Parts: sequence; C-alpha cells; structure tokens
Amino acid sequence: MKWGRWLKGVLAFAVLVTLHYTVRPLLGLRVSVDFLVIAVLLMSVRTRPGAAALLGFATGLVSDALSPSAFGAGALAMSLIGFAASRLKAVFFADNILLHASFFFAGKWVHDFVYLVVDRQATLLALAAQLFVWTPLSAALTALVGVFLIVVFRATFEPQAV
Amino acid sequence: VVLVACAALSLLAAVLPAELREELAGGLRRTVVAPLIALQTQAERARGAFVTRDVTAARIDSLLLRNAQLTELASENERLRRLIGLGRALQSGFVPAEALHGRGLGDEHTVLLTVGARAGVVERAVVVAPDGLVGVVTSVDPETSLAILWTHPDFRVSAMTGDGATFGIIQPHPGDEPERYLLELRGVAFRDALKSGTIVRSSGLGSLYPRGIPVGTVLGQLESREGWSRTYLLRPAVRPPDVTSVMVLLPDRVRSDLSSVWSSPAGADSTRRGMVSAGDSLAAMAARLDSVRRDSLRRDSTVRDTGRVRP
Repeated sequence: MKWGRWLKGVLAFAVLVTLHYTVRPLLGLRVSVDFLVIAVLLMSVRTRPGAAALLGFATGLVSDALSPSAFGAGALAMSLIGFAASRLKAVFFADNILLHASFFFAGKWVHDFVYLVVDRQATLLALAAQLFVWTPLSAALTALVGVFLIVVFRATFEPQAV
Repeated sequence: VVLVACAALSLLAAVLPAELREELAGGLRRTVVAPLIALQTQAERARGAFVTRDVTAARIDSLLLRNAQLTELASENERLRRLIGLGRALQSGFVPAEALHGRGLGDEHTVLLTVGARAGVVERAVVVAPDGLVGVVTSVDPETSLAILWTHPDFRVSAMTGDGATFGIIQPHPGDEPERYLLELRGVAFRDALKSGTIVRSSGLGSLYPRGIPVGTVLGQLESREGWSRTYLLRPAVRPPDVTSVMVLLPDRVRSDLSSVWSSPAGADSTRRGMVSAGDSLAAMAARLDSVRRDSLRRDSTVRDTGRVRP
C-alpha cells in the first residue's frame, strides 16, 4: 500500500515535470504556471527534509541545464524550497484551501527570489519589477493550479506523516 | 547536512568558470534533459503553428484565389487570341461582338450581341466563332442585336462535307439531356455514306450562310424512316456555353467563300493552333512596333540632348 502511494507520487511528479516543458511553451505567456515548483512542493511534503532537498537540487539542475548562465541558481532555490516544504508539511495537514494557496504562492516567490539573487544578472530595477510584479502574478497562477490539483487529485497528493 | 551539501554544490556550480558550467549543462542537456528539451521544442513548434495558423490560412486562400484568377485569365487570353486570329483570317467584312447569354426561360437558344445597326449589323447576319458557326441574327437594334444559336428549333443550315461531295440540311437534334447539344445532318442521299469524324461545313447554298464555315463533325448514322435518305448525328463545332466573343459577318462578306479561313487538311485542331499563332504574331508585331517607336523616341531625345550640350 505504501509503495503504491509512493509510485503514484512519482508518477504525478513526472507528469508535472512533463507539463512544465509542454504546457508552458505552448501557452508562451510571461505570467506562467511553474509546474516544477508545484512538483517539488507536492513531493517534498511526502518525504524527509534531506530527501526533499536532494529532490529539489536535482530538479533545479534539470531546469538550470537550459540556462547555463544561471547554472546552480535554480538548484539552490529548489533545494531550499524543497527542504522548507518538507519542514512545513503541517500546513498540508490543515484542510484549508487558502493555506494551500499561500504555500504554493510563497514557494514560487521564494524560488524566484533566490534564483534572481544568485543569478546576479538583473539590474536592481529589473529585479524589483520581476519580484514585485511578474513573480507575484506567476505565483498566484501557480497557487491556483496547485490548489486545483490538490482538490482534484486529493488521494494522490495527500501528505504522509514521517 | 543534505541541505547544506546541496546549497554548497549549488553555489559552487554558480561560481564555476563559464566553460565548465556550459560543459556541465551541455552534459545534462545531452542525457537527462534531452527528452524534456524534445518535448519543449515540440510544444513551441505547436504554439508557433497555432499562432501563425490564421496568417497561413489567409495566405493559402489568397494564393488559391490568385491561381483561380490566373486560370480564368489564361483561358480568356487564349479565347481572345483565337478571336484575333479569326479576325486576321477573315481580313474584312466582320464586326467583333460580345455575346451575352440570357438566364431566363426561353433564353437558352438566343444571345444578345453588343453590336447593332450602327456597326453595320443587319438581320440574318451570320455569327461565327473561331471554332465555327454560332448562329444567325434575328433582330437588330441601333446598339445591340439578338441572335439565335444553332440550338434553336428554327435553326437550319445547308451543309456539305469538306470535299463538297455530300450535301444535306443541318438542324438541332431534338434529344434529351445527354444529346441535347448535338446536331442532325438530314437529307443526305442514300448513296452517300459518311464516316465518323467527317467535318461538315456550310455549303453556301441559299445565300444566307457563306460557304465553308465548320458546323460539326459526324458522330454516326441515325435511324431514318425515310428510305431514300440518310440522317447523321453531328457533334457541333461550337458549344453554346463557350460562346462569349464572336464575329458578326457583314452582308458583303456573306457572298464570299470562307473555306480558306477554316480550311485545313489536319482538321479543326490545327486550324485552332493557326489562329492562336496568328494572335501571337499580332501581339509580337505590336511589341515590335512599340519597341521601334520607343527607340525612335530615344534617338530623338538623344539628338535633342546632344544639341543642347554642344554650343
């Protein structure tokens, strides 16, 4: 039974990663859903903090492979949010949609913040515009989709006590 | 500990030399990330196709429309060239006209011609096309005239074979839809058997139609009740739907023999080719004249310019 749930979780993770590389480029919008963040957050609440950090690190490396100039930034951001999500998994035990949405919103915003800071390529103005205009919009959309996925696939994404 | 290790590795990756970072990223792109890159490429292509779909569809529509217009223009061009060729062959005694088809009931056997009495058209003037006989004018107004086509039940023309050995009267074949646009050659002497493919022309007897205009081609013999004559089914030289530009023969031309205009041992096809080439040669002649005129104008202007420069 435990293996079955774990397998479903891995499958859901793979589907979300696939969506990240198909739906996002298909829509081509500046404000887009970050399926990788959703995938890392949802998997992290099912694993121990160390494993969650490793999962985030691996996922971040995959996303960094497509932007070598910021290589490492995505890995660090994903490691941090994976670890933090695993620590804060109590949030997921609360059956509150607003809390879930805040969880995804904060995860996306922190990811972008760490990424942009480590990347060090944006000017201060561009950094501010990204963090306070575009990132909140993307985070809101990501939160919306994340909550939708939790509601629809509740059985799959239900967190487990460690 | 794991988080610290991951963070340290991430920061290390971020501060690596650019070449080394590119090498690491390239290694990932070639292995683990390759399927994801393929997915992303397909998705971006799909988006590009979706975004440009309307533009592409509009372009294809425009090309199709232009292509259709070009086909129409080409066929009209060929038709007009053949008409010019016919005019060149007739040389004189004709008036070119547009034939306008009526769309009402009873109008299918008549056409309105865009020339009338002011152009010299008279009643019973013969109407011809590059392929042969079209009909005859029945009423004339100052600017327009009305002509019946050979499909009209009252249409009759005295006809003969190309060698002038066999004679008969041509009239429309009163058949149903498949044979509606065919002709009959009636009153052929029983001793004269015609082969399929024989071209039949106007005989010039009766002083209405000049001699030598193609009317049709023999398809085969029809059953005849009269034991003393034969009746043949003919394929007409001119199809009524194709009649749009015609020549109206003036009275003085009717009295002459037009056999030389349409006569050709190889048949109607070579006649048609001859008419087309005549049209081409007319166009070439016009181009040559235009070129000569331009050259002479250029010489004139050069002489004037030269005269101006030299004191």
